[in-house]
Amino acid sequence: MANTGWDEFEIGAMLRTFEGEAGNIAGTLQEDRKYTENSSFSASVADWRIEKPIFAKDYCIDCQFCWIYCPDISIISRDKKMIGIDMDHCKGCGICVEVCPTNPKSLLMFPELADEETEIAQWPAKEKKEK
Amino acid sequence: MSEMKKIKNLKEFSTSADRFEGANLLCPGCAHSIIVREVLNATNDDLVLAASTGCLEVCTAVYPYTSWDASWIHIGFENGSTAVAGAEAMYKALKTKGRLKQPDRNPKFVAFGGDGASYDIGFQWISGCMERNHDMMYVVLDNEVYANTGGQRSSSTPIGSSATTTPAGSISYGETRNKKDMMGIMAAHNIPYAAQVAPNKWKDMVKKIQKGFATEGAVFINAVSPCTTEWKFDPKDTMHLTDLATDSLVFPLYEVIDGHELNITYRPKEKDIVPVEEYLAAQGRFRHLFKDQYKYLIKEWQERVDANWAYLNRREEARV
Amino acid sequence: MAFDKMELRDIEVWDGNFAAAQALRQCQVDVVSAYPITPSTPIVEGYAKFKSDNYVEGEYVMVESEHAAMSGCIGAAAAGGRVATATSSQGLALMAETLYQASGMRLPIVLNIVNRALAAPLNVNGDHSDMYMVRDSGWIQFDAFCPQEAYDLNFIAFKVSEDHAVRTPAIVNQDGFMTSHTAQGVHTMDDDTAFSFVGEFKPMNDMLDFEHPVTHGVQTEEDWHFEHKARQHNDMMTIVPGKIDAAFEEFAKLTGRKYNQIEQYDMDDADVAVVCMGTSVETAREVAREMREKGIKAGVIGIRVFRPFPFMAIAEALKDVKAVAALDRSAPGGTPGALFNEIAGSLFNSDSKMLLSGYIYGLGGRDLTKKHLVDLYTELQANADAGKVLTQQQQFIGVRGPKLAYL
Ligand SMILES: Cc1ncc(C[n+]2csc(CCOP(=O)(O)OP(=O)(O)O)c2C)c(N)n1
Ligand code: SF4
Ligand code: SF4
Ligand code: SF4
Ligand SMILES: [Mg+2]
Repeated sequence: MANTGWDEFEIGAMLRTFEGEAGNIAGTLQEDRKYTENSSFSASVADWRIEKPIFAKDYCIDCQFCWIYCPDISIISRDKKMIGIDMDHCKGCGICVEVCPTNPKSLLMFPELADEETEIAQWPAKEKKEK
Repeated sequence: MSEMKKIKNLKEFSTSADRFEGANLLCPGCAHSIIVREVLNATNDDLVLAASTGCLEVCTAVYPYTSWDASWIHIGFENGSTAVAGAEAMYKALKTKGRLKQPDRNPKFVAFGGDGASYDIGFQWISGCMERNHDMMYVVLDNEVYANTGGQRSSSTPIGSSATTTPAGSISYGETRNKKDMMGIMAAHNIPYAAQVAPNKWKDMVKKIQKGFATEGAVFINAVSPCTTEWKFDPKDTMHLTDLATDSLVFPLYEVIDGHELNITYRPKEKDIVPVEEYLAAQGRFRHLFKDQYKYLIKEWQERVDANWAYLNRREEARV
Repeated sequence: MAFDKMELRDIEVWDGNFAAAQALRQCQVDVVSAYPITPSTPIVEGYAKFKSDNYVEGEYVMVESEHAAMSGCIGAAAAGGRVATATSSQGLALMAETLYQASGMRLPIVLNIVNRALAAPLNVNGDHSDMYMVRDSGWIQFDAFCPQEAYDLNFIAFKVSEDHAVRTPAIVNQDGFMTSHTAQGVHTMDDDTAFSFVGEFKPMNDMLDFEHPVTHGVQTEEDWHFEHKARQHNDMMTIVPGKIDAAFEEFAKLTGRKYNQIEQYDMDDADVAVVCMGTSVETAREVAREMREKGIKAGVIGIRVFRPFPFMAIAEALKDVKAVAALDRSAPGGTPGALFNEIAGSLFNSDSKMLLSGYIYGLGGRDLTKKHLVDLYTELQANADAGKVLTQQQQFIGVRGPKLAYL
């Protein structure tokens, strides 16, 4: 958001999250909300990342561990299914990968510049359990 | 009364529409945010929120951005509790006077504060709010340190932890006092509900938060919040650290109803209990304890944890 | 549950505290969050009794400290309703952090300060050191000189503070004991008339409007902070004075009692004048009249609005006066008194050749006697005659021991 002059904003440095009426916000998914440019939803922290998670859907069992433990609301789950990662808000912490229970994991960390299709094509195989 | 949100399992929970947003400025892997999400997603009711000065506050409302999708206020370091209590009083007043804009809503009033804001500087304010029994929930994001200002000790900082104002050194093992029993103190206010929670045990946590929301009167929640920056562990390991905290019983999960009825809500199987040493070893803030001269402190740690666990069990059994 | 209205006589014998409590009741404040301290305690006690007797419908939160009292007020004001509290001295000092937060967040709150000295040494009596301590806190500050004004100014304070173009908290000062505990005849308004003056509270950016979630109390750093503070100052300088005048005007229409940002007594042809606040204004008026009988053209200016400071009005009122005394009832701690500085500032770039001298008086409730004022006017007249200040610029009056004078 551009820096503006002293006369160009609301008094008290008050911020509004939504344009117009919010409605039933707890029942409205992010894609259906009218965020203002003051909501951090409108911003990106993609440049914080050194590594990024890549999601290999084929192995996913939709357990939603990644959804609940992602600190940055970056695991997109819809209708009880994990459908992808919000790359504007993911900070690359790697928690989702750690908590993913599948074998092989359905989420793995890669360098930020890695190509998603290539990595999914050469996804690691199932690990043998050490006895 | 509003209906309690149905959360049978994690799949069902994952249909929640978050009211806390990304691109906040919390560190990658920060547990504060995981806790906030579990609290907010535990209800579909409207929310009136406050935060005391600290990591959560300075990272989620830096002009011109806000990460909050519900009404939110920050005043200062010590008074997040009273901010929400004031709003709750206004809600009651406007309800009596018939001036609520949306009289059919059932807002929940929640204040978040760090351990510094809660155990230390805001202690009196919280005590006042609890004693007056405002219809509100106070949630401590307990990372056992003043994280926002760079890692100074608080009265929640446990013994042996190296904090910047109690640093380990050639003649010091760091913090010399043990963590304050905030749960005990808050329960002693005879509030209707107090609980210790951890975000890894999401089901236990969400159940307690929902219980808190359903409670009329003051609710106190202490949530363990492993801090990658100040506890010194890799951000990806936040949940692993939380597991160690709950499974070593360093952070036992329990609730206290009406100031006396104590229930342990998570009881790891004997074989699954993790030695405290493992919990300590996973964190840089305790690294120095593994020097020969301080190993006795690790032993004492274990004894303290065992004694506390035994105490909680006795309290639970006694039903007093 | 409906609340009861109270039958009042046209003139009631009230002290300043009770007058303020009655005004809060009549304004139908939604939330009072308060903590007792002498000499303001009877305001919150009075209000509590109204609540217990069903004369108040709002919430009354008796918190555990003054800091919490204002914190609760801020939360309540941000939630969206009429909010008030009262304090004095040490309580105000404890509250100080939150005053800046309230004004910076542009929340309308009315704070009654019953002025009292600040410790140490501990003292429960009236001086203006508490009022002065928060003079830069971004609050509007009114000053009542007597119980009637403590009553009236509360209505005006709500009216101005809650105006959407203002949204700035307001303080109503009154002197500890001299006003707060001295019963006088107070012309009352009936409950309906009184409430009609302030009207129903009109919410703005209210947290309880769930259709419009708001974030209050953000962090701004070097990239934004200055603009926000500039806005706050600008509104104090350009919007608030006009709103205060309009409220004074409207109040006069309703009650016949007309207030002004500075109250001028015998100033039309004054050669010498005293500028002061609080109960001292009435003493000075009396002495000024007596001085006139002795041939000294004496006048008095009482500062009704201390913030925003009526800089231009002061300059205008004093431009033809020959010698002026600024009376400051606060230990200045190594500088001239605040009024001295403000008045000097208002005249510095003008054509006025006025001679200004400062007096520190009345600390910790020490009486300002008529004799003090007679001597003071006599000194001013001597300055006027000599065309220069014959004394040092800062003098203490009414203190035992060798004379104290500086600068
Ligand atoms: C009155 C006051 N004193 C000190 C500070 C400085 N300060 C701001 S946040 C903070 C520490 C916060 O620690 P905690 O409450 O534990 O929250 P965390 O950042 O660890 O989440 C301190 C010391 C302040 N803002 N206000
Ligand atoms: S890497 Fe971290 S922020 Fe990114 S999606 Fe995974 S858990 Fe969320
Ligand atoms: S944790 Fe793994 S298996 Fe579970 S939903 Fe996420 S990606 Fe799928
Ligand atoms: S310092 Fe710790 S508590 Fe603060 S944002 Fe970083 S991880 Fe979270
Ligand atoms: Mg902390």
